[in-house]
Amino acid sequence: MGFGALWAYRLRSFFVVLGVAFGIASLTLIVTAVDGANRKAVEMVEMFGPDAALLFGGDFRKRAVGTRVLTLSMDDARRIENSLPGVKLVVPMRMKPGQTVKLGSRNYQDVQVVGATGDYAGAWNWPLAEGRDISDDDVAHGAKVALLGGTVVRELFGEDSPVGQVVFIANIPFQVVGTLVTRGASGGGHADVDNRVIVPLSTLMQRFNLDRKYFRAIRVKFLDAEHMDAHVENMRSLVRHQHHLTPEQDDDFTILTADEILKFLSMFKGGLALFLGITATIAILVGGFVLANLFSLSVSERSEEIGLKKALGAHRSAIMVQFLVEACGLTLMGGVLGLFMGLGLGQFLSRLDILTIQFSWKAFFLALAGSQAVGLVFGLKPAKQAADLDPIRALRGEG
Amino acid sequence: MDPAIRLADISKTFFRDNDRKNGDEPEGIPVLKSVTLDIARGEFVSLQGTSGSGKSTLLHIIGLLDRPTSGAYHLLGDDTAALDDDHLSDLRNKNLGFVFQSFYLIPYATALENVVLPGLYSRRPQAELTARARTLLEQVGLADRMHFKPARLSGGQQQRVAMARAMLNNPDIILADEPTGQLDSTTSGEIIKLFRQVHESGTTIVLVTHDEHVAAQAQRIVRIHDGRVVEDKPTGA
Repeated sequence: MGFGALWAYRLRSFFVVLGVAFGIASLTLIVTAVDGANRKAVEMVEMFGPDAALLFGGDFRKRAVGTRVLTLSMDDARRIENSLPGVKLVVPMRMKPGQTVKLGSRNYQDVQVVGATGDYAGAWNWPLAEGRDISDDDVAHGAKVALLGGTVVRELFGEDSPVGQVVFIANIPFQVVGTLVTRGASGGGHADVDNRVIVPLSTLMQRFNLDRKYFRAIRVKFLDAEHMDAHVENMRSLVRHQHHLTPEQDDDFTILTADEILKFLSMFKGGLALFLGITATIAILVGGFVLANLFSLSVSERSEEIGLKKALGAHRSAIMVQFLVEACGLTLMGGVLGLFMGLGLGQFLSRLDILTIQFSWKAFFLALAGSQAVGLVFGLKPAKQAADLDPIRALRGEG
Repeated sequence: MDPAIRLADISKTFFRDNDRKNGDEPEGIPVLKSVTLDIARGEFVSLQGTSGSGKSTLLHIIGLLDRPTSGAYHLLGDDTAALDDDHLSDLRNKNLGFVFQSFYLIPYATALENVVLPGLYSRRPQAELTARARTLLEQVGLADRMHFKPARLSGGQQQRVAMARAMLNNPDIILADEPTGQLDSTTSGEIIKLFRQVHESGTTIVLVTHDEHVAAQAQRIVRIHDGRVVEDKPTGA
């Protein structure tokens, strides 16, 4: 007989399953999204490097209208490299998005062209897959050499080695000297980091009509990651001094470190968890109340069955267990359905680059445990109601 | 040996819910008035009376579905007043079998599953229960209907399923409440015949009916009127 009653009352069962499924779907989404954000944070810090800081022109935090963002000069970069203690590497950066790269008759569009000084790979903790890095010599001579990101290599060369080949960027010929390993777009949310071409900074500035004096950003790598706070504070004083800022004036630059990124991400994560947590709680409560109501109705409708079972010798506890098992069976189905709904929705949102999700067994167990908790908590009252029925009245249908 | 059923000075008064709220001494409706009755093991007794005579209430008390307002009831030697709900459930499960006027089969379960039902509360192995249920369904002539749901069975067939169910746990006593009330006279005759067969195998039977012809099929008729035993005589059957 088993779950015959659930099938006999299938429309009602369906609504219970659906109600619980929505709740569990939200729960699954929240868990996978928070896990995804965590993974993202770890990846970004790894990519960024715990021993590095990024100096941007303009103040991000108080971005007043008309604030100048091009405030960092080659002179700033040199002063940081020469005067700031603990500095290992200074890489001024400029980029030019939306470029077309050509190889023979093949075109690949919308590539980010990044200008760099020597040792780009070292400064970004980004290993080379093949060939060599941009050298100081290349920068000094404005050489037309390029380092290709994984996506560009795949799109233009497929399996072939691009090293030594010539590609045209904005109709200017560049010789490919090396390639970067593919980092992989980490499940959406951000642009493809491998879709880039690295050229010497001097070449980029001369050939791509960029402002010759100022940089958008300077990447600074320190010798050790331990004293980052002090390093950042020193750098701030130095740059303020360089820019002749008086104590009343705000910074005209922003320093970003791995710590800052983590802080921002954890804020984002907290907001996400709060929003989805409230949604999930409401959805689960609604599912639970649907369950409690429909089961209550079921108890009155099935009072004859309950009365009969009592007459045949069922203990109170047996009746309770029966209804709780039915409730938990339905919520289990709801849980499984909700799990898939949540994962599906997560996939969809990550395709749209809204969220990054990460499936884990934690999500799986939380969904199942959550659904069983709903079954037990909200099934308890109707089950008790059934167990407390007087057998004679129940047999007369007076549930 | 103790009698199967020993009722001593049993009374039952029903109180309406409103009566208690006023705070007055509740004025109940007496349904049974000082009933004293012994039924020996192996007897086939009819409790006969008109509608409202109290015969069904008496059967409910005998069946441990209701407790008397006063008086003592010993079932198979046990004083039932001393037992808690779970004990009463166990007694119903092991020692009593019920057959009702409207069959009370579970609609979404097959005949076989309905017969097995009391076994689910007695912790017997499933295989043994199923084998026993099959044997019983064969005995009541439903060998070819075991996997039918109640809706596909006639009234008489449904009542046979209910009888097989009542016999599953080899009870000492079968209690039947108007078992032929919804059946035509031919089918009624067949069901009564089945009761006599069960009785011949040694089971005590207490059958409640308003129908004198049905009552006359028992060994002994106890007539109930207005909550009292007014006649108690053997039928010679």
